[in-house]
This record gives sequence, C-alpha cells and structure tokens, in this order.
Amino acid sequence: MNPRILIPILVAAYLMVPLAFQSNDYILGLIVAALTIAGIAVAWALLGNLGGMVSFGHAAFFGVGSYTSAVLTMKAGFPVFAGLLMGGIGAAIASVATMPALRLKGPYFALAILAYAHIFQILSVQMEGITGGAGGLLSIPRFPTVLGVDFGGKLGGYFIIVTVVILAALAYDAIRRSTWGLALKAMHDSELATRVIGVPSTQLKAVMLVVSAFITGVVGAFNAHFINFLEPDYAFSGTWTVLPIAAAIFGGYRTVWGPVLGALVIYLFDQLLFKEILPHGHQLVLGALMAGMVLWSPGGLVPGLIRRRKGGGAHAHA
Amino acid sequence: MFELTLQALFSGLLAGGYYATVAVGLALVFGTMRVINLAHGELVLLAAYVAYAAEARYGLNPVLCIPMALVVVCVSSAIVYALLARIEEDREINSLILTFGLGIILTNLILMTWAADIHSTTNAWFLDSVVIADTLFAMRSEVVFFVGGLVLMAAVHLWLSRSWQGRAVRALSSNRNAAKLMGVDPRKTEILSFLVAGALSTFAGIAIYTGKTIFPALGHIITVKAFIITVLAGMGSIPGVLIGAVMIGVIESFTVTFAAASLQELAGMVLFLVVLFVAPSGLFGGKKALSR
Repeated sequence: MNPRILIPILVAAYLMVPLAFQSNDYILGLIVAALTIAGIAVAWALLGNLGGMVSFGHAAFFGVGSYTSAVLTMKAGFPVFAGLLMGGIGAAIASVATMPALRLKGPYFALAILAYAHIFQILSVQMEGITGGAGGLLSIPRFPTVLGVDFGGKLGGYFIIVTVVILAALAYDAIRRSTWGLALKAMHDSELATRVIGVPSTQLKAVMLVVSAFITGVVGAFNAHFINFLEPDYAFSGTWTVLPIAAAIFGGYRTVWGPVLGALVIYLFDQLLFKEILPHGHQLVLGALMAGMVLWSPGGLVPGLIRRRKGGGAHAHA
Repeated sequence: MFELTLQALFSGLLAGGYYATVAVGLALVFGTMRVINLAHGELVLLAAYVAYAAEARYGLNPVLCIPMALVVVCVSSAIVYALLARIEEDREINSLILTFGLGIILTNLILMTWAADIHSTTNAWFLDSVVIADTLFAMRSEVVFFVGGLVLMAAVHLWLSRSWQGRAVRALSSNRNAAKLMGVDPRKTEILSFLVAGALSTFAGIAIYTGKTIFPALGHIITVKAFIITVLAGMGSIPGVLIGAVMIGVIESFTVTFAAASLQELAGMVLFLVVLFVAPSGLFGGKKALSR
C-alpha cells in the first residue's frame, strides 16, 4: 500500500474523526454504521473484483457471523473480542457450505448465494434453542473496557470497526498485489486460458469466497456486540446486501478504498439527506446510484477522480 | 389426508399457470440478450398496481385494466432494454447490477406511490369459489388465469416456432452471429423479446392482483421465483417451463398444506439449489448448460 495514501487515511481514521466527533454520539453512531457497511462492501468487492463473482447474498455471511459471535459469548462464555474472530470463522465455515455454487456463473452464482441467505435466515428462526427463534437475542454482551479504554461506547466501537475496515482493505490490497491477485486478474480476462497454464482457478475462487465471508462475518459480529440485539429478519436483512453493493459500485469496486469511500458517502447522505426528503422509499436513491454508475461511470467514483487528476487516459483496473 | 393432498396438488397446478408466464418472459429476454433481468418481477408487480389503482379509483374490472397496464409495463420494459443496451464493458456483472438497481427503483417508486399496504382485488366475482367434483376448491380468478395462462403459453409457443419473428428470437438465442448473417436484426429482435416479456408480465400481474395479495416487496420474490423456474426447466423449452412452474406451484402448496406457510419460499430455494447442483442444465434443458 502506497504510504502517501495510507498515512492520511490512518491519521484521519485514528486522530481527526475521533477528535472532531468524540462528543457527538449521533454523528459517531452514523459513522460506525457507515463503516459497518464499508466492511461488507470491501468484502463484497474482493469477491466481485478478484473472484469475478457478484453475490446477492452477503447478508448470509453477515447474519451467520453475528449469530456465531452472539451465541458463543452468551452461551459458551467466550470473551467478546474472541467472539469477533469466531464470527469470522463461523461465516467462513458457512461459506464452505456455499462452495458448490462456485461452479455457477453470473446470475446463477448471485442468486444461489441469495438462496443460501434465505435458508440461513429460516434456519435461524427454526433453531429456537440456540438462536432464540424469531424473537431473537437480547442483551448481547458489549465490548469490554481494556486498559482503561471503554470499547463498549460509541467511540470505542468506532475504533474497533475502523480497525476492522482498514485491516480488510489492507488484506484486499495485499491479495491483489500477490501472485494470486495476478492469477485472478488473468482469470478475469480469460478463465480458460488461465486454467490451461495451470492456475487452479476454482480453488482460488474458493479462497476468495472464504476470505470475503470471513471479513463479512467479523463485521457482522462487531455489529451484534455494538447494538446488543439480534433477530433473524434484522441479521439476514437484504439491507446488508443492497447497501454494500451500492457503496462498492459507487466508490468503485475494482479499487481498494472505493468501497470504503462509497459506503461513507452513500450511508451518510442516505441517513442525513435522503431520509429527510423521502421518508418512505429513500432506497430509491440507492437503486438510481447503482444504475447510474453502471451506465455512466462503470469504474466508480475513485477511478473517475484519479482519471480526472491525471487528465484522462490511465484506466484504473485491478 | 387424501383430499388434502389432492387439493394441494390442484392449487399448485393452478398457481403454475401464471408462474409459467412470468418465467417465460424472463427466459425470452435471457435468450436474446444473455441477461437475467432482475427487475422482471417488479414489472409484473407494476401491472398489478396499475390494476389496483384503476380499480380503486374508477371501479374498473381488473381484466379491463389489462390494456392500460400493458402500455405502462411495455414502456417500462422498453426503458429497461434501452438502458441495458448502453452497457459496453463487463456486460455480465454490469447488467446484473443495473437491473438489480432498476428493480430497487421500481420497488421504491411503487412504495412511494401506493404505500406499503397489502392490496387485493375488491371484485367479488374473482374471489368467488369454484368447486370441481365436489372436493376441489379454487377461486374463480385462479381458474380463469390458469386457463388464460395456458392459452398464452400456447400462443407464445406457436409464435416462437411458426412466425418469422419468433424464429428470429430463437435464432438469436442459439447463435447470435449466424442469426445476424441470416438477416436477423438483433436490436429489433431484442426489443421484441422485451415487449413480449412485458405482455406476459402484464397478464401475470393481473393474475396475482385478482388471486393473491400484492405489496411492494413482492416484485423481488417474483423475480427469484421466475428465475428458479427457468433454472428448473432449463432455459430452452416452453413446455419445460410450464412443467417447472407447476412443480414449483405444487411444492409450495404442499409445503403450505403440510408444513408451514412461512416455509413456502424455503421449499423453492432448496429445490433451486438441489437442481443447480445435481442437474445444472435444468430438468429439460438439453445441451444448453446454465453453468457456462
């Protein structure tokens, strides 16, 4: 990662935002929610860009991650931070169950994952003994106070999720630059040719799916401990799929920071502006953004900005 | 128990009639453009809401609303086509995202115009029951639109196999370049497939409005269901789609009758996954593998 990009991001994330908004719980809460979307958006973009697969069911991994962590901390006595990790692992395991879908392409993969999301949601309603059924889980433990820092509050939550998102983006960047990334990029151009020269394309896609699910699961687990409440309709809500896709498309899913920027812009605008103007149906704007970006700027916002600075020409592709 | 089973079979069969019209529309568009129109169900729902608006305001019979709904849906369908045709790079991913976005726009427009309430026809004629052989019950609407659906399917089948335009649609789906060489104008044929899909959607929308209840989020559910049916049937054949639609209808009505209504969607989803993994080219798909 280019330090000229990374250092300003780190400064903004760990100094400027906390200093500016530490006393404003409302704004801080919105930023935490936006970063939650950003985390899923990065995971979605990783799968979409590197794996070449559009998923309409990331809510599946989000929900599984949040339930795994909530149940383990509540019923098995796991520490909350360990629960975060377990949420990721739980979602990664769930992604193994979705792997048969990897041999599908395009719409078939997208909707197969959606089907999994529905199935997981219904399972979470039916497995009442573990998940509390349709009533959900109440008073999921908060993040503890560590070394005098209260991670249970808004500011503490902010530090956790911003770290998760930055780590996810760095992981995305590292994979993209590795030989795997090169192979995945080649697969994007011609999967057949890539296979012929000996790249195990299905295995690589499987790894991307697991990584993507892991990140989404961690984010889901974070959200469960941050809002301390879960129910199936909420944990597996289509919102966890639609918002991240809109964010990733808007920001540019073939870039590392595009999904993060997209999530911040879209979520904050959605909550502060569109929701005020259109109390019902403000998701309309998300749909319009998705369609509009695909039609007029398929690369997304970030490549568009870069291109403008360089005065056109260079195409920012993965 | 036997009567229940028979009734469930019967209800499922009737539902299959209009499910098939939705699925064939989706499959036609996929055939010519290689694009799954994820806003397809929303177009169906739009027809239903047009019928609702006309009935609520002017007391029109839903069947008489068909021409108006047809215009609205076909224009919307043509707009979807015009936007899809603009996509140049990464068509597969971008067309999915575009139609997904358009579906969200339509759902929310419906939500803003007609609110989130659940609606259904107030016309008693459609809701009256029909009893067949003293044991099988159905709503009049279900029977009417089942028969109508069959007639429409037969018409589309004839159109595809006999008319020049219908053959052009099939030619384009089987080999785009060869079809062009034979003088098929791909643009015209694509538009035509969208318009026929629009007409089928209109019919299905009115059927849903008179026989079921409608609400804004239904569009997405319809899209997924249509997609499942086409996967089941394989994209190729109209009789296949009809059988797939009836299968989904029957499986759903069995789930509702013998398990729980909340599991209705699950049954379809599980079947979808099973078919995808066991027979990815569909039950009647022949050579055209879906996973390619």
